[in-house]
Amino acid sequence: MIHPGNPRVEPVLDVSNLTTSFRIGGEWHAAVRGISFALQPNETLALVGESGCGKSMTALSILGLVPKTNGRVEADHIRYEGKDLSRLPDEEMRKIRGNGISMIFQEPMTSLNPVLPVGFQVMEALRYHQKMSRGDGEKRALELLELVKIPSAKSRFKEYPHQFSGGMRQRVMIAMALACRPKVILADEPTTALDVTIQAQILSLLNELKAETDMSMIFITHNLGVVAALADRVAVMYAGDIVEIASVNDLFARPTHPYTEALLRSVPRSDRDTKTLYSIPGAVPPLTRMPEGCRFAARCELAIDICRRQNPPLETLPAGGAHSVRCWVRGDHDLTAMKEHADV
Amino acid sequence: MTDHVDVLPEASRHPFIDQLQKAFRNNKLTGVGAVIFVLIILVAIAAPLLAPHDPLQQHIIARLKGPSAEYWFGTDAYGRDILSRLLYGARVSLVISLTAIGLAMVIGSIIGIIAGYFGGMIDLALMQVMDVLLAFPALILGLIVVAMLGPSMENLIIAIALTAIPPFARTARAPTIAVKERDYIEACRALGFGHPRIIVRHIFPNVLSEVLVMGSLWLATAIRVEASLSFIGLGVKPPTASWGGMIREGFENILDNVWLSVCPSMAILLVVFSLNLLGDGLRDAIDPKTRSDS
Repeated sequence: MIHPGNPRVEPVLDVSNLTTSFRIGGEWHAAVRGISFALQPNETLALVGESGCGKSMTALSILGLVPKTNGRVEADHIRYEGKDLSRLPDEEMRKIRGNGISMIFQEPMTSLNPVLPVGFQVMEALRYHQKMSRGDGEKRALELLELVKIPSAKSRFKEYPHQFSGGMRQRVMIAMALACRPKVILADEPTTALDVTIQAQILSLLNELKAETDMSMIFITHNLGVVAALADRVAVMYAGDIVEIASVNDLFARPTHPYTEALLRSVPRSDRDTKTLYSIPGAVPPLTRMPEGCRFAARCELAIDICRRQNPPLETLPAGGAHSVRCWVRGDHDLTAMKEHADV
Repeated sequence: MTDHVDVLPEASRHPFIDQLQKAFRNNKLTGVGAVIFVLIILVAIAAPLLAPHDPLQQHIIARLKGPSAEYWFGTDAYGRDILSRLLYGARVSLVISLTAIGLAMVIGSIIGIIAGYFGGMIDLALMQVMDVLLAFPALILGLIVVAMLGPSMENLIIAIALTAIPPFARTARAPTIAVKERDYIEACRALGFGHPRIIVRHIFPNVLSEVLVMGSLWLATAIRVEASLSFIGLGVKPPTASWGGMIREGFENILDNVWLSVCPSMAILLVVFSLNLLGDGLRDAIDPKTRSDS
């Protein structure tokens, strides 16, 4: 069982104060703003939020794949196996990518090279990182394709990506990510591009794989249904901030940040007779026009004066567990003096 | 799980094979071009078996003869059999053109892929050099090189290769720029692959089809340039038969026997025509703008 925030267990991946900025029109704008989290062994942490919240950027920053020409990654540390990934030279970083930490991409239709057989692509990381011989590589790649439940894997080993369906390609992508038995998998919306039945298959596959191996996973999604099915802990991101982080049960039982609440209200439910589906008014502010104060304030029904002036800190709720939230109104702040100015 | 992977089934079809098939199915002329070109290559290879006479053997009595049973296409000013000289001339033309285009394809692709992949200053510097070379018409550049190095088969190959490198560099660079932004290249980097592996294993196969099609079209140009250089006396030295050289020799006696110039001209026409048919068909098959289905 997972013990969120249990200090006795050494986290596999410990991210502290990660900021990723981009240069737009000569100025630096933070897409990810000082986020911290720790990933425990065999834990699945879901990163949730709308498009443009910095979820994918967080994953790319961990792997050092943010384009260096106009992107910048700063962190107190990104600790993995005693190394600080934020300060590792590219040469060393390459040995970790795909080997210790690997990534599953969103678009299975375009994430495989169309002119190379799938078996070759699965085998490639093995031969590159683990210097496997061709024979061993083929044997292991075939095992992997069978592990991700590709029917008649042997006969499909030398087929090309265009001969595979979207779901099958995503299985191949997962096999590639698993090839070197990584400790951490970064799954960037791996089911978003798939239809619902295939989504369910891929999720149960990921759950099985996680149970069989000791890998940890950061699962990036905007689909809260997927989160409930898969995650141990959830971090809700909004405009580059983690606004709420809690175990999956706590989050669904007691959503505290107004944004989390709104996200949950936007999930269609079969057990309620809803004529219209709730949607959060407005959109995530663009990088170049981030407001001062709480970035959600403009869309928040509870916003009060201080929300527009000052960004609240991420603070643990007194209720216990490891439930933290970044909100002046809902957090553990003494706002009696301010509430008179509430202008909702 | 078995201990050993048994022999894996035959490889499935590479997408390029599909494109090739489509090229031949959709446009019958592609096949015609291919067949003619293959026949010409076979004839060139089998020249010693097919040639009725020694191409260098002079028969001064039988000079400037018209077509006859003995000499199908007649004889030249030294009484040499034109048919035999055409057959041996095909070897010279094809060896020079194929080697030159092969060289240009390899060097041009490397330059183009490196420029496209790394971009920035590397791209700028390499492509500037290519643009300077491209500014010279193929024949003029060939002329300069042969004039500097002296006429010989090797120098002719160098000259033609040099003129053909820039278009291949351009051809390879464009798809490289498109492919390097694709998700699967990002996926390669996420798997920790270094630049050399990404370029060789993942970019190159995607660029290959366009470079090959370009090659079939430029082969025709190479044959023309080789003939032109031979015509003005900068090709292989006489008495070795080459088509361009034969046209020039025939020119001196064109009033006595038109066959001397017409035969090698027709040979060049036939090769260039077949290569253009083949190249156009292949280009249409891989060009998304003219592709009938995606």
